[in-house]
This record gives sequence, C-alpha cells and structure tokens, in this order.
Amino acid sequence: MRILIADDHPIVRHGLKQVLANDPAATVVGEATNGDEALELARKVEWDMAIFDFSMPGRSGLDLLGDMKREFPGRPVLILSMHSEDVHGSRVLRGGAAGYITKESAPTELTTAVRKVANGGKYVSASLAEILASECSSDPQKALHEKLSDREYRVMWLLASGKQISDIAKEMGLSPSTVSTYRTRILRKLGLTSNAALVHYAVRHQLVG
Amino acid sequence: MNSATAAVVALEPEPQVTERLKANILLVDDEQKSLYALQELLSTLDENLMTAQSGEEALKLALKNDFAVILLDVRMPGIDGFETARLIRSRERSKLTPLIFLTAAADEMASMFRGYEVGAVDYLMKPVVPEVLTSKVSVFVELHRKNERLKESEDKLRRLAAHLISVREEERAHIAREIHDELGQVLTGLKMEVGWLAKRLKEPQLLEKTDSMGKLIDSTVQTVRKIATGLRPEMLDDMGLVAAVGWQAKEFQKRTGIRCRTKLPPEMKFDVDISTAAFRIFQEILTNVARHSRATRVDIELQVNDDHLKLEVIDNGVGIPEGAQTGRKSLGLLGMHERALLFGGQVSITGQPGHGTRVCVTIPTKARL
Repeated sequence: MRILIADDHPIVRHGLKQVLANDPAATVVGEATNGDEALELARKVEWDMAIFDFSMPGRSGLDLLGDMKREFPGRPVLILSMHSEDVHGSRVLRGGAAGYITKESAPTELTTAVRKVANGGKYVSASLAEILASECSSDPQKALHEKLSDREYRVMWLLASGKQISDIAKEMGLSPSTVSTYRTRILRKLGLTSNAALVHYAVRHQLVG
Repeated sequence: MNSATAAVVALEPEPQVTERLKANILLVDDEQKSLYALQELLSTLDENLMTAQSGEEALKLALKNDFAVILLDVRMPGIDGFETARLIRSRERSKLTPLIFLTAAADEMASMFRGYEVGAVDYLMKPVVPEVLTSKVSVFVELHRKNERLKESEDKLRRLAAHLISVREEERAHIAREIHDELGQVLTGLKMEVGWLAKRLKEPQLLEKTDSMGKLIDSTVQTVRKIATGLRPEMLDDMGLVAAVGWQAKEFQKRTGIRCRTKLPPEMKFDVDISTAAFRIFQEILTNVARHSRATRVDIELQVNDDHLKLEVIDNGVGIPEGAQTGRKSLGLLGMHERALLFGGQVSITGQPGHGTRVCVTIPTKARL
C-alpha cells in the first residue's frame, strides 16, 4: 500500500508517519506540505492512497479533493481535518472522499481507516455515522421532539439544561403552574417519566450543547 | 463619540488652516445691468459668483452645482421667480438651497407669502442696500460652509467605522487561524506521540496515564476549536455564507433551545467581505432574539440572486418596542445598520409589541461602494 501524505504541519506529518509505521502493509511514498505540492506529487509518484489535510495553504479542502477525484478517479483519498465531523464531514464524503477523520482521532482510527479504504471501502467514524444518520432521516416527524410545539420545545430545553420550574416561568413570562403543565405534556409526548430521563434524551439527541 | 473623533484627528493630522474653498452663489435676474450691479456689490465677499438671465438658465445651473444661496428676481419674462423657486426646490440636489427674492416695488411685498411658500428664506427690496445685501449673503455662505464641514466629518467618521470593522475582522480571522492551526496542530502531534507511547506500554497503571493524557488533549482541542470558531467561524471561509448561516442557526438552537427553521438556497460562494458583513449582522440579530425577544421560534430565510442577497429573520417573541428600530440608542442595532451601509445595503426592523420582530437585510452583491 503506497501512501501519499499532505499536511502543512511537520509535527502532524511526523505523527502520521509514526502511526502508519505500525502497519507493515503501509509505506509512505511521498510527503507534501501544501495543496499544490500534493497535486504535483500525485502526478509524479506511483501511489495507491492519499491522506490529505483538509485545510492547507494554496489549493485545499473540497477544491483539492475535486481535482484529485477528477485526475485520479479510481484512487481513494482520505481526508484528515482539525475540524469536528459535524462541520465538514458529510460534505467531504459527498465530495468523493474515501473517509473523514478528525486529527485527534487519527492515532486510534487511522490504521483501521487505511485498511478499510485499501480494501475499496469507505471509512466513517462512529460519530460521523450518527451525523449522517440524522441527516438521512429527512422525515422530521420521526423524532419525538419534533412533535413538541415551539414553546414546549423551549421548556424542554430549559429543563434539560437544569433550570428550575420557577426560573423557566420567569424567563418565559409564564406562571409556574403553566410551566408544570408544559412539563407534564412534554414528558408524555416524549414517552419519559422524569427530568433525569429528559436530560438523557436531550443529550442523546444532541439538543443541548 | 469623543474618542472616535479624537482618533480621526490622530489618524489624519490635517492642518486646520485648509485652503478656503469658494462658495457658489447664483444670481438670477433678466436684466444684465442688475446682474452687473449685484456682482459688483458681492465681489467684496470673494466667493464664486454665477449668473443666470432666466428661470430656465437658473434651473440648469442648479442641477449641476451646489449653491450656498440663490438670489432670485421675482419679475422675469417666461418662468417667473416664484415658479423658478418651486422648480429649484423640487430637485433633490437643490431642495434645501436657501433662496432670497429680489423685488422692485413695494406692492410686490403683498406676494411675499407666496414667496415663503415656495421656499424663500428672505426678501430684499430693490434698489438693495449694499451692506444689507452682503451681510445677508455672507450669513448663508457661512451656514453653507458649516454644513460642508459637517458632511465631511460625517464622511470621515463613516470611513473610520468601516476601517475599524475591517481591521477587527482581519484581526479575528488572524487570531482564529493562529490558535486553530498552530495550537491545534501541535496538540494533534502531541496526541499522536501519546498514542505511539501507549502502543509500547504494557503496565496498566502507565496505560491509564496515557489514556487520561489523550483525553486531556482531546478536551483541549475542543476548547481551541470553540475559541477559534467563536472568533471567526471557519465555515464562512471554507464553505461560504449559506453553509455558515445554516450552521449558526443549528448552533443557536442548541445553545438557547429556541427553535430555528431555515430556508436556504443551494450553497454558493461570493465576495468574502459581503459574506462576513451578512453573517455578522445575522449573529447580531440572533443575539438580540436570545436577549430580548422571549421568542420560542425563529424563521430564517436567505435568498441570493444575481445582484443582491436578502436575509429575513422573523421571531415570535414580544416584539421590538416602538422607536427602538432605528438603532439610535442601541449600539448593536447601529452596528448592523452601519455594516450593511458599507456595501450599500440596508437593514429594516419591523415589529409590534406582542407580535414578534421581523428583521430584513438586503445587500447588493455586485456593485461595491
């Protein structure tokens, strides 16, 4: 497996090579420090897979990915990024990348990703899979919290953020008993029985943050 | 305001004794000899005197020049003085130009009211008393000069504000890049080193240490990311305004529990400064929603066509109080207006107490000022 790597930071390139060195099947055949250099290198060297940083000086990101896919359509490009998956992840995959991994997860995920991609697969981390899944469920009616009214949703959020009924009443300009009624209704709609369960629900669905 | 004015002076230490620009004065009379007489009398003021012998001619000149004051003979063949005054006043450029009527006979004083109606600021009887004429005219010339200076300083303040906005934006982008790239990459490198170490360790106690080190680095990376994004969302540069607005709306809902519904056009990129202005205005609108509106829902619509972008944000909150829309009191609102104005755009805020607030931003995407 001949691998090209491109990253403008020597420390990251060094780290990548170290991680890849653990895999006997992988050989780094070229290093580039920016996007233009990476493209240049890809034309000169024989390679099977490329691991590129998402943001580099010069040509980078989706533009560079597009160029690579155009010139070397069959060969996989794995994108590494400083940014978390929710920002660029799904766009990068749609742009034709064989995988997207954040740099902090590289030490643990890179080897797996390289193997997966080498066998013609795509690598999607667990957290990116979750994001993709939520993007796919285009029918918003499916999620229970989508059934809440706008006001119920806000009360739910405030409860999930640890606010007391009296604080919520003050913040929303409602009476405490009205807020309590809302709370009962929210729990019923979400099929929950306690505030703790509600917090859990909100965290699991990434409604608070 | 004081500090801003002081900064202008510090930035551009212009000498106060600037060259005295001559003010334009227009004299209108159908009789050549009357014009000569007026010119002679006013020559002591050392201003730029222009003359016209008919209403039409006066109108033509008023369309092309700014006059400090216009002296107008009431009785003229063709378009008379009153009609000329009305026409001059109906043009945007000359709608505030002071007019002084010249009347030859006492009986014409009866028509004085008609003169005031069409915008006269004063009357002079012919034959004019030289001292009265020059002192009246010089009052208006002085007024004109003051107005010019005011306009100039307003213009300077606006340019200064624009400069400050762009400097701050550049600074933020620069700091965000430094933090995110430099610090972030070093942390990444560190994480990889720890990972390498962990692979070679067998002792559970030591592995526990490398594990906690890894976690610590991860949370630091998160913090770095949060700081950098707060300074300037990378989305804006990488993906453009449409993606950034969508992302910001999602973040806002997560952070405040106020539901956001977005209607966005396909992703596209255009001028980064305009994108930045629109994005910052959008952030300011959301800040206001979170702070004052008590809304539970925000509808966001972004439209982009060939020559302008339009961003509409409607909330269902308590509505903006009467008179607060113009931003005369709130610096945040004033900032929104200023940012849009820099690109020839505008921000309109409408709302009724109890019925939510609607903010509409339009910015031309082609012609930059």
